[in-house]
Amino acid sequence: MRIAPDSNPVRSEFADDPDMADIVTLFVSELPKRIASMQEALCSGDITQLRILAHQLKGAAGGYGFPKLGEAAALVDLGIKEGCDENVVRSRLGMLAAFAARVRP
Amino acid sequence: MTASQGPLPRLLAIDDSELIHRLLRVRLQHEPLEIHGSMDAREGLELARRMVPDVILLDIEMRGMDGFQVLQALKDDVNLQDIPVIFISATASMEDRVRAIDHGAIDFVAKPFEVVELKARVRSALRIHQMVKMLAQKAQVDGLTGLWNRTYFDRRLHQEVSEAVRHGRSVSLVMCDVDGFKRLNDECGHPFGDAVLERVARILQGGRSSDIACRYGGEEFGIILPNTMGTEAVDVAERYRVAIEAETWPGPAGRVITASFGVSDLSLLAGSQGSDDLVASADSALYRAKMNGRNRIEVAPVARPAG
Repeated sequence: MRIAPDSNPVRSEFADDPDMADIVTLFVSELPKRIASMQEALCSGDITQLRILAHQLKGAAGGYGFPKLGEAAALVDLGIKEGCDENVVRSRLGMLAAFAARVRP
Repeated sequence: MTASQGPLPRLLAIDDSELIHRLLRVRLQHEPLEIHGSMDAREGLELARRMVPDVILLDIEMRGMDGFQVLQALKDDVNLQDIPVIFISATASMEDRVRAIDHGAIDFVAKPFEVVELKARVRSALRIHQMVKMLAQKAQVDGLTGLWNRTYFDRRLHQEVSEAVRHGRSVSLVMCDVDGFKRLNDECGHPFGDAVLERVARILQGGRSSDIACRYGGEEFGIILPNTMGTEAVDVAERYRVAIEAETWPGPAGRVITASFGVSDLSLLAGSQGSDDLVASADSALYRAKMNGRNRIEVAPVARPAG
């Protein structure tokens, strides 16, 4: 049996909360679009826009039951804030995207 | 009246992330709150001016105008400066937290927020707001009669006079003074005098809902009648006069207590049209009512047309 821990799905901490079901599902379904917008912002050199998007995800992901996703977004936000090399930002965004791909409602 | 019986307190969230708005709507849905939101700082400020919420949740990092600028604008607006503002921000820096509190925010919640904590902080902010409103109102109410006090009367009359002048409307003032009050106090004691003032206040309060009854001082009352011509004001005063005269009192049977009234209509005044002139003219009409035998109404003289 092949073990691939990084491809394990990540579920929301609020998966069992009926109040949250709808907005968690919406959050997860919109996530690929959100990550794509961040990648586009980086490609077109719009670092301000990338930072805004990362900052929003950092602030909200935990609220939807995905604190680790929020931490991954915080690393991108912090990288830009501290003026890190673009390659560092790119690699952090790559990690964020990889983690986001595992997120399930 | 307890808080739960009145209209729901209104919360306004200003945050540029739709994710946060959705989350707040769901997380606060079972709280006794009416939730409003704006994704734009300027638009949020406009909304705050229009709806005057009971508590504001404010993001710090927003495009165009940040949370600190919004807070400053709120504090600069006399109608909004007392609304408690809770900052919600993903920026955890100690400097920002201190700066937020120093600039007048009541609290600070870090994103991602713990739901129970957020709810508790919102409740706490609402309690404080409620208390501030109550104290502000108490400072304007007369302790004995429960009517508006002199401070409120002066401010409100000034405001009503400016409004009337601006919109070309009328405003009238009725001044009322209990007849022979000093003698009543001397003969029946101060507790009886107080009871008379309370009862007269109750009568003056029972008029039209738009009339503003205030205790002017001692046994003198001022009733502001927005949008009311002098003739109509005389009718109002007459109803008060009759009601006071008809009131029954403890003590010797058949005791009658009366009051005198002076009425003035702003639009009929000569010269300057300030609230001071309105008070002075109503007061001199009241003085004439006293001189002409009490338990009566006198009207301030109508100015002759200029020319």
